[in-house]
Amino acid sequence: MKKKKLLLFIGPLLLFIVSGLAIKSAFFVDGKLAYRSPAAEQGERWTPREQALEDEAAATEKANREKPYEEAEYRAFPVVGSRVAIWVVSQLHLLFAAFVLAVPMFALTIEFIGYKTGDKRYDDLAYEFTKLLSVSFSLTAAFGAGLTFMLIALYPKFTNYLAHVFSPTFLPYVLLFFAEAGFLYSYYYGWGKFSARVHLFLGLMLNVVGTCIMLIANAWLTFMSTPSGISESGAVISTWEAVSNYTWMPINIHRVIANVAFGGSIAGAYAAYKFLSAKTDEERAHYDWMGYIGNFVAIAGLLPLPFAGYYLASEIYAFSQTMGLTMMGGAFSWLFIIQAVLIGNLFLFANWYLWLGMGRIEGAERFRPFIKYLLIVVTLCFMVWATPRSILATVEEVQAMGGSSHPILGFLGVMSAKNTAVNILILTTYISFLLYRRSGKIPTVSWAKMGNRIQFGIFVAAASIVIFYGVYGYFVEAAVRIKFSVPQVMSVLLAMILVTIIDVLLMRNAKSTETRWGKISPISQYVLIMLAVTFTWIMGLMGYLRSGLRQHWHVYGVIRDTSPDAFTPTLGFATQVVSVTVILFFALISFVFWLAGLSGKKVTAAVEPNPTLPAAQGLRPVGFEAPATSSVATTSGGHQAKAGSSPDSGGSVQ
Amino acid sequence: MNIPVPLKIAILAVGGTAFYGYVGQLVPQKEVHPPEVVEINKDVTSVEMAEIGKEIFNGKGICATCHTIGKSGALRFPDLDGVAVRSASRIPGYTDVDYLAETLYEPDKFLVPGFNKGMPQINKAPIGLTDDEILAVIAYLQSLGGSPSVTMETRVVYTGGALGGGTAAVAEAKSASDGAEESQISSILATACSGCHTAGNPADGPSMEDISGRLSRQEILTRTVDHSPPLPNAGQLTLADLQDIVDSISQIKGAV
Amino acid sequence: MNWIIILVVLTGLVVLRRFKLGMLAWLGVWWFAALVFVRFGFDVAVPMSVVKLYMGIVSLGLMAYVLSDRNRLKQVQEPLVALLTERSHAVLLGVIALAIPSAVAANIYFGMTAPAKPPVFGRTVHPAPPTELNVFDKEFDLVSLDNPYRHLEEAEPEEFATRVAHGREVYYENCFYCHGDLLAGDGMFIHGLNPIPTNFQDQGTLPILQESFVFWRITKGAPGLPEEGGPWASAMPAWEKFLNEDEVWDVILFIYDFTGARPRARHEVDH
Repeated sequence: MKKKKLLLFIGPLLLFIVSGLAIKSAFFVDGKLAYRSPAAEQGERWTPREQALEDEAAATEKANREKPYEEAEYRAFPVVGSRVAIWVVSQLHLLFAAFVLAVPMFALTIEFIGYKTGDKRYDDLAYEFTKLLSVSFSLTAAFGAGLTFMLIALYPKFTNYLAHVFSPTFLPYVLLFFAEAGFLYSYYYGWGKFSARVHLFLGLMLNVVGTCIMLIANAWLTFMSTPSGISESGAVISTWEAVSNYTWMPINIHRVIANVAFGGSIAGAYAAYKFLSAKTDEERAHYDWMGYIGNFVAIAGLLPLPFAGYYLASEIYAFSQTMGLTMMGGAFSWLFIIQAVLIGNLFLFANWYLWLGMGRIEGAERFRPFIKYLLIVVTLCFMVWATPRSILATVEEVQAMGGSSHPILGFLGVMSAKNTAVNILILTTYISFLLYRRSGKIPTVSWAKMGNRIQFGIFVAAASIVIFYGVYGYFVEAAVRIKFSVPQVMSVLLAMILVTIIDVLLMRNAKSTETRWGKISPISQYVLIMLAVTFTWIMGLMGYLRSGLRQHWHVYGVIRDTSPDAFTPTLGFATQVVSVTVILFFALISFVFWLAGLSGKKVTAAVEPNPTLPAAQGLRPVGFEAPATSSVATTSGGHQAKAGSSPDSGGSVQ
Repeated sequence: MNIPVPLKIAILAVGGTAFYGYVGQLVPQKEVHPPEVVEINKDVTSVEMAEIGKEIFNGKGICATCHTIGKSGALRFPDLDGVAVRSASRIPGYTDVDYLAETLYEPDKFLVPGFNKGMPQINKAPIGLTDDEILAVIAYLQSLGGSPSVTMETRVVYTGGALGGGTAAVAEAKSASDGAEESQISSILATACSGCHTAGNPADGPSMEDISGRLSRQEILTRTVDHSPPLPNAGQLTLADLQDIVDSISQIKGAV
Repeated sequence: MNWIIILVVLTGLVVLRRFKLGMLAWLGVWWFAALVFVRFGFDVAVPMSVVKLYMGIVSLGLMAYVLSDRNRLKQVQEPLVALLTERSHAVLLGVIALAIPSAVAANIYFGMTAPAKPPVFGRTVHPAPPTELNVFDKEFDLVSLDNPYRHLEEAEPEEFATRVAHGREVYYENCFYCHGDLLAGDGMFIHGLNPIPTNFQDQGTLPILQESFVFWRITKGAPGLPEEGGPWASAMPAWEKFLNEDEVWDVILFIYDFTGARPRARHEVDH
């Protein structure tokens, strides 16, 4: 039976090879036998074959000896071309680097919480996050080296120029990289081997060094977009000026926040994968909790991102009006419609996950009716947020509208409406989170009703302020309108802070029902994965925007791109490259996840029942709810079991 | 039917990515190409050179950042309106071309009274115009209050010529072209037109045999001007050239 | 807003509440109601591209609604599973099995037999202007350029009125053929034009533009449009060849005056 199957497989393969060989040899023979008229008949001067070969060899040798050395400006990459090759490699490098920089940030925070509260589970969770790091770090370095070599090989002239400007930063970068490796591995392998304080210090240094590395690399790439510190012909005047160019600081801020959000979402996807392939309830409970925290980190990073983005955009405008207009009004304006779809999806997924999360809490049923209305608000805001200003329309449609903007939808396509929509989206997401947080708790304080009303009042007030400014924006000058985004944002932030404070006070000594970690619909885990996919994709897209804005320049206004790839590709092509990059990234990160699974040996330690410490709970940040199940599975590596090092001992946690 | 979890996740990730890629296909697709680098052919006329020079003046040469045309009052740099007239008499022994070339290649050598140093050498970085581009700029400057006389063949001191050489070369070229005009027209007819308009091959273009008997001069003119496809190198023909050509065609009797 | 349609949709939804509909049916009802509202709820039809975008988002929202609760998912799954497995639904299943390919076929048929239309394209209606403009043998700095006669509005209203009156003459001699008697972009020539001329009465056009931008668009016309932002087939002539500088500024005064719009104020990007 087995043989038959094998035959079925090998048979067609052999057939394929044999027929290929047959065709090949037929062509060969045909070529040999083809009739050619003798050279003499063609009127050519006839040379003996040996003589001709000798002449030819001599000519080649002579040509080789006299070949002048020419400095190449560009070299081509086979098949896909230099641009796509460098694009994909640098994007992959960036994605892994973002992950490697972000995970220590929240791993350290979680470890610190564990240290403060004395809750072992936080420590274990932090270790589990860190476990994803070491392979990712190697991959980051590998892609970084690949990127460097490709830059040298494919863009020698440009690379030479960057070296001219930034050579003083290269050595510190390399040294910092060694330090990063040192801290990373001592942080990871030293888990549980050092005293808690020393270990926390290692983690802190890992973060500091990692951030410094990012700052240096950011200087290079922001310089390409908004160069400064150089003479008109491009000669360097001050390297520090070149480093601290217009967009350096905005990019630093934007990247740190975005990295945290991205890292959280990837860690969430890891937890989702582990949850889905878990066999026991303990594992499910643990990974449900881990996914919840990953998602919390991602959303906390997502909320301030639009404001960091505004800062970056305004600096781009300040550097060059032309570049700013190219971004918002020119070739790249449609990119923001794609971005709107992605961001709308992010908010939808975030809310969705929280709603699904209510399934794990007893007593959440009473909030279920609200979900419908929250969903309607999210959907409406999403629609406003995605409404394009210049609409794609056929000729008849344009004539019916009397112009390229619709008489009613036109109002939704402008800044006022979009700012309002995004602020309401943030507020709604926060309400979803609040409902989730409260679903398992019944307040016992005497002023509970009053507190609820005040919270409700604050939400209404914030929403009214946002909508008021949104509508009022249509009646004032553009210059005034732009400033309206400030009170809108401030009212939302203030509302979120006030409500959080009231809620913490309100929930003191609250009767809490059980949070059944792991008792969540598996759909939620797929939502987490989609969240990670969306985050990754949007990073790819915005990376393209930042790079593409330079258009036909390597260094904007200084080094012109004269390669065949100097043109700006269509958005469709760009999104294809981004998609391929994202798929490659997920293929590689699953490899990382798989390895991380190998390194852990299953140790189901029954952690002693942990009654939630009322005193500690008040100190905790809102998101970090301790799992209330009595035992969780801890997968631990080196610090508990030495067997972790042998690959066949683990086979993941199954 | 039980799909393994990793496969489910892979399908979801690939599906989600494909969906976003699909969204990217729905928006307008537009490639933006970098602006073309102006290359000056060797056979452009002086007037065309002046047009190219104007582009360089306002664009790559960034001359207009400092220099004005047709402005008076307290200026930081000389106004260039009517510069063609002034440039011939600024430095004794210099023709207008010599003078303009010097101001571009060595701007600090002679300063217009009342102005300070401050102009960069135009052939050096950062502006870095090529010698050909500088010739075009000179042609443009000559057109401000005069008519351009330089050609792409003109050599100034900095490009291996001698003082006063520029104008002389122009004069030679001009006299030569005057004498050659007649033969040039007939050679256009013989080579350019008859390339297509042959008697044997009506697919290329109608034969011009006995054309004077078939078409009036006006009809020939209309057909020449509205030539489809456009006449090759039509941009280099002046109106007078065109009329001469039409005149010659309308006199054709018998075979070409 | 087409209130009749909206009223019909709302009454339909209210009436349907009286019947006992399953979750699946309600999903269909909501989706359909949203489609009718978006497609027909506006006096001026919403372009299909936006309808598709909105319906995509509505579908996502409905999906999130169903999948965010186990009970709802079960309620949706049950009738579907029943349809596929139970014998009593065999006829319906057969009809659906035939209907899907027929719908695809019909879609292809109508797609193939539809009269040829010019391709749909998106344009950036107000592309990024250059920083400098070279017309009338002068350099204009578009970043700081203002209408030189705008200040007359307050300083010398009479002079301003003459300027506007002159602009009116210029408009009706040159522009109204395309931009229309009432500046609504519906002049007598528009049937041959694609894209159609700008509608100055649209509140999203003149008020969001600075006069320097309008000056650039009038003087350079279609030939001066930057490459980015869309295929330009605009028939707008480069008026620098036909009008002088004053005429352009006057006609700008006129179109703002006639439509009652105010030019967008300039704001400094502070750094």
